[in-house]
Amino acid sequence: MSTQPSFHPLPQSPISSPYRTTRLRIPPRAASLLLPGLLLIGISPAWADHMEKHFKVDARPEITLHNPNGTVTVKAWTKSEVMVIATHTSDQVEVDATQTGNRVDIMTHPLSGAAALASGDSRADFEIRVPEDAELQIHDDSGAVSVNSVLGDMNVETVGAGVDLSDDAGYLTVKTIDGSFQCLRCAGRIEVSSISGNFKLVDLRSYQVRAQTSKGNILFDGEFMPNGMYEMKNYSGVIEVRFSPGDSFDLSARSLKGRVNNEAKLSPPNHPQHFYSGFGNSLFGSFNSGRAKVELSSFDGTINILKRN
Amino acid sequence: MSTMGCSQFIEQLDSWMEGRREADARAHVRECSRCRLFAEDLDAIQSSAAALTVADPEPPARIWTALREQLIEEGLISEGGRAGSRNGSRIGVATPASQGLSWLDGLFAAIPRPAVASAYLILLCALALGLAGPLGFRAPQSPSFPFSTQLQNAERSAVSSVRGSQSAVSSSLSHNLAIVDNYITLCEKSVQEEPDNEVARDYLYQAYRQKVDLLAQMTERGDTIQ
Repeated sequence: MSTQPSFHPLPQSPISSPYRTTRLRIPPRAASLLLPGLLLIGISPAWADHMEKHFKVDARPEITLHNPNGTVTVKAWTKSEVMVIATHTSDQVEVDATQTGNRVDIMTHPLSGAAALASGDSRADFEIRVPEDAELQIHDDSGAVSVNSVLGDMNVETVGAGVDLSDDAGYLTVKTIDGSFQCLRCAGRIEVSSISGNFKLVDLRSYQVRAQTSKGNILFDGEFMPNGMYEMKNYSGVIEVRFSPGDSFDLSARSLKGRVNNEAKLSPPNHPQHFYSGFGNSLFGSFNSGRAKVELSSFDGTINILKRN
Repeated sequence: MSTMGCSQFIEQLDSWMEGRREADARAHVRECSRCRLFAEDLDAIQSSAAALTVADPEPPARIWTALREQLIEEGLISEGGRAGSRNGSRIGVATPASQGLSWLDGLFAAIPRPAVASAYLILLCALALGLAGPLGFRAPQSPSFPFSTQLQNAERSAVSSVRGSQSAVSSSLSHNLAIVDNYITLCEKSVQEEPDNEVARDYLYQAYRQKVDLLAQMTERGDTIQ
């Protein structure tokens, strides 16, 4: 079932109807007058498509976004409404945003008949507001993705786009090829994988973290929740885990060809370990009563277990 | 207690995948963790591939046409047989007689869409890794490896789908494929040096999975990033 979106123009916006696509074209004569000035201040004369749509939604709405290139910024708000603002500077692409039931689908696609697009021509930038219990699916090959204060589950997939999450919760799955990943003050469950992206997991309150990157570095500087499970793995690069004196975890760390540096005073493991033994540099043990479980693994990278400053 | 070895199990894989699971083969799978995992992987791939027929939307016909031409060129499918049942776009996999891949033939014939490429890549790499384990380590690139030609062809097809594109996305995919290939080489070397090293084998397995994932992405995105 398709429903029509409701329209709520922003007071500060010059666009009266958010459903209307407005092209801000600069007449040639004006352009010739403006050009020297624009060149002086480093701005190229261009036009931009600006689209704004609002959709009334119920609890736990689903929002999907497919965008080949551009910045995507998603923030939670208290309204039962999804707001989508899209801007693109190419007339070769268009943005669709449609609602089906409690789902809002947003997509950037080439206009029919458009030739193969250079990456710059496919760029569209998004500002999206969602209820805090929204569930998100975001595909953005290149550019950047930022999600703030959304508590529903989310799945983000990119190629080169970096992913920056803050104050999010739920089941968070992120997959990049070489985009970096940063998660600040996130909770819930996090699964992130990449080939050459770096990960920074800071001030987390997640009970389950699984992070795997091949060539990237992983920094974990968060709380080890009781009964939490924290797995970090790479081929090369550095895995760095920081702990406080009050933390409690069982630790398994192994680098097959690299080093393991440890500042935690470990006692013999409180619980059985299932790590393979006999190969590489490894250490096992419990820190305090071992309430969380921490598994760190690298092929030829370095593993650092350091005291938090 | 099974009297069947790993190589015999692989030889009867055709029957196994078609559902004819002899007692001896079942016993071997119970006792051999590698063959069990391998068989489970293949079952999962078969199920996933079958699900693709109903779950995903129909792609543009030109993708299918391009894929079909590529596969014909590579010798992986024949022009006759099943070809043409969907506006000339449905393919049949040419079964290499020496490999006895009739279940593979049936599997891919049941998928009337280009997603076959991804499933095909996954299957080939699963076969590559699965066979590398039970039969003693042999690199998939080895000429003696039974699926090496298909694997290389599938990889070539995936890579060619993004070749020529100057986009950052295609560069990134190609660059990261080289990274993963390098890790595969390192892991293979490590496994060859220490055949009992389960950790290195695990890393090798993960690297193959990443490669499969990348090749599938290259195939699927090839159309949009050119």
